[in-house]
Amino acid sequence: MRARHPPRHDRAGGGAAGPGRRRSRLGLRSRVTVTFGLGALALSATMAGLTYFTARQFILNERQTAILRQAYVNASLARSSLREVNPDIPQLLSSLDTVAGSTSVLELRDQWYATSLTVSKDAIPVGLRSLVLSGAPAMQRFALGNTPEMVVGLPIPSVDASYFEVFSLEDPSRTLRILALALAGAALVTTAAGAVIGRWASGRALRPLAQVSKAAETVAGGSLDTRLLAAGDPELSALADSFNRMTEALQERINHEVRFTSDVSHELRSPLTTLATALGVLESHRDELPDRSRHALDLLSAELRRFQRMVGDLLEISRMDTGSAELLLDEVEVGELARHAAVAGGAAAVPVDVDPTLVGVRLTVDKRRIERVVTNLVANADHHAGGVTRLSVEPGPGVVRLVVADRGPGVSPGERDRIFERFYRGQAAGQRGASTGTGLGLSLVAEHVRLHGGRVWVETGAGGENRFVVELPVADPRAHEADEADEAEDADQADQAAIGGVPSGVDTSAPGGQAP
Amino acid sequence: MSNRILLVEDDERIRASMRLALEDEGYEVEEAGSGEEGLERFGEQPADVVLIDLMLPGMDGFECCRQLRRTSAVPVIMVTARTDTHDVVAGLEAGADDYVTKPFVAKELAARIRALLRRSRSVDDPAVLNFGDVEVRPDEGTVRRGGDEVHCTRTEFRLLSELAANPGKVLSREQLLDRVWGYDYFGDGRLVDVHIRRLRTKIEADPALPRHILTVRGMGYKLAP
Repeated sequence: MRARHPPRHDRAGGGAAGPGRRRSRLGLRSRVTVTFGLGALALSATMAGLTYFTARQFILNERQTAILRQAYVNASLARSSLREVNPDIPQLLSSLDTVAGSTSVLELRDQWYATSLTVSKDAIPVGLRSLVLSGAPAMQRFALGNTPEMVVGLPIPSVDASYFEVFSLEDPSRTLRILALALAGAALVTTAAGAVIGRWASGRALRPLAQVSKAAETVAGGSLDTRLLAAGDPELSALADSFNRMTEALQERINHEVRFTSDVSHELRSPLTTLATALGVLESHRDELPDRSRHALDLLSAELRRFQRMVGDLLEISRMDTGSAELLLDEVEVGELARHAAVAGGAAAVPVDVDPTLVGVRLTVDKRRIERVVTNLVANADHHAGGVTRLSVEPGPGVVRLVVADRGPGVSPGERDRIFERFYRGQAAGQRGASTGTGLGLSLVAEHVRLHGGRVWVETGAGGENRFVVELPVADPRAHEADEADEAEDADQADQAAIGGVPSGVDTSAPGGQAP
Repeated sequence: MSNRILLVEDDERIRASMRLALEDEGYEVEEAGSGEEGLERFGEQPADVVLIDLMLPGMDGFECCRQLRRTSAVPVIMVTARTDTHDVVAGLEAGADDYVTKPFVAKELAARIRALLRRSRSVDDPAVLNFGDVEVRPDEGTVRRGGDEVHCTRTEFRLLSELAANPGKVLSREQLLDRVWGYDYFGDGRLVDVHIRRLRTKIEADPALPRHILTVRGMGYKLAP
C-alpha cells in the first residue's frame, strides 16, 4: 500500500498540473461561480441547439412542401399548354405562377427556355439534369454562387419535355441565421446570469463563515465575550452554538486564571510584607547584632529582595498573559523621561545623550513601565556586560529609540532573540558570582515595550558592545490600546468642551502630530 | 508629642511587624483587626494617620474608609495587594489620600506618612485666596463656597491651595504630586486625577462641566479664576 502510494500521488499530481491545479487554487466562491457559469452555459447551449435544429427542420420542410406544390402545379400548366399546336413558349413561361426569387426552366426536345437570364440550363446541377431527362422526377439543394438554392425537376413525357424550377432558399437561411444569433446571445446572457447567481448564492452561503471568522478574530484580539447570533437557521445555529460554547469555555478558563493570579497575588504578598517589614526592623538594628548574625541578616535581606522582585515580576508577567496589564499613560518629554529613568534605574552617573532633533518631543507612555525597562536593562548590563556606559535617545521614522549601551561582551547572534525569553540563561550566566537576577528581566522588558506598541532588540556596536534598542512609537499608544482609557478620561473630555480655546500643544485627536 | 497611627489590618503578623517598624520611626501605633474595630477605635481616640488594608473580612477597606470620611478629614493611606486601576481608583474615591502596595518597604510607608503629616504652609503664603465664589484660607485651613464652609480632607485642601496660589498657570501632574504628596517623577498620576475629581464635586456648580479646575490635556491642570 505504502509503496504504491507515491507513484499514484505523482500521477495525480501530473494530471492536475493543467487547469485542474489552477482551479484548486481558486477560492471556494470563485469555484462555485465558475461551476454555476459553466452549468448555465451547458444548459443554455443545449437548449439553443435543440431549438435551432427543430426550427430549421420545420422552416425548411415548410418551404420544401410549398416549392414542390408550386412546381407540380406549374409542370401541369406547362403540359396542357404544350399540347396545343404551336405553343408560344415565352408566353407560357411568363404565365406560370412563380414566387419571387424562383426561376422556371423548360426543356423541350433539347431546346432550353428560361424566365431568367442568369439562371438557365447551366445553373442546374448536371446529375439532376440527366436524372430528370432520363424520366425521373428529382429535387436537389445546391449553391448558386453564394446563395443556397433548390431545384425541382419534373419530366413531362407526354409532350417530350422537362420542367425545372429553381427556388432561392435565401429567405429561410437569413431567418435561421438571425435565430442562431438570437439563441447564441440568449445562451451568453444565461451563462452570465448563472455566474452572477453563483457568486451571489455562494456569498450568501458563505456569509455565516465570514461572521465566524470575524468573531474568531475578535476573540483572538482578546474580546472573549464575543458571541455568534444564530439567526434561526438550524444548520447555522449548530455552528454558532459550538463556537459560543468554545468561547465560553475559553473565557471560563481565562477568568479562572485571572482569579488564580489575583488570589496568588494576595496570598504571596501578605507573608512577603511581614518578612520585608520585620527584616527592615532588623536592618535598622543591624549595628546591635554580632558579626555572624549580621552576615546572616545580609544574606536574608539580599535573598528577600530578590524573592520580592521575582514575585513582582511573575505577577507582572501573569498580568501580561491574561491581558489585565494596564498602561497608565502620561505625556512626557523624551529627554526628561530618559534622564529620570536612568536615575531610577540606578545609572545616575551614566551620561544621557539626546539627539538634538528630539529635544522637546513628547511621548505618551507609562512612565513607570519605561522606568522598569531601563532598570531591567541596566541590571542586565551589570550582571552580564560590565555595566552601562551610555544611554542615548535616537530618532527613527515615526519612532524614538532609547538605546542602552554596555561594555560587552556582545551577545552572540544566535542568542539575540532567545535572551528575551523567560528564564533564559545565556552562556555568560553565572560568570559573575552570585546572580541577583530573576531570569524574567529581559522578557518583561519585551512585554512592557510590546504593550506600548514598540519593539526591542539587541545589536552589537562598533566597539563590540551591546546596544539594547527600545523603539517606541511617537504616536499615542491609545490608538492601539483603545480600551485603556481610565475613568478620568470622561472628565477630561468634558473639560475640552468647557475650555474651548485650548492652549496650543493640546491635541486630543493626534498627539503624534506634536512632534517636529 | 509623637503622632498616633491607627493600623486597620486583618493579618496579625503584618500588624505586629508594622508596629515594630513604625514604632522604630517614632510613631505611636494603635491596632485594629477589622473595619468595624477600626472605626470604633477611631471613635474612642482619633489618630493622626489611618492605614487601612483594602481586603478585610466583614466590612471591606473601601467601606471603612467611606465611613471614616463622614466624620473626619484625617489622612488615610490604603494598603492594597493590587495596583489595578479598579482597586486604586476605588480606594481613592472612597476617600483615601494615598496608597501603598504590598509588599511594601517600611521606609517607603514611613515616607508616605511623613508626607501626609507635613504641614505645607510656608511663611509667604497669602492669608486668603479667592476665585469665583470660592474662598481658600490657608492660614485657617478652611474653604468657603458662597459663604458656606466646604469640608475638605487635608490633601484636597493642599491641592486646592496649590492650584489657587497659581491661578491661570498649568501645573503638571508631576509638579502636583511633588508639591502635595512629596512624590518624585514616577508618582502615580491617578492620585492627582481622583483628587481633582473629588475637589470638583465639592466646589464646582457642575462637576461634569468644571469652570474653575480645568484639565489641560496632556499637560496637567490649571485653575481658572
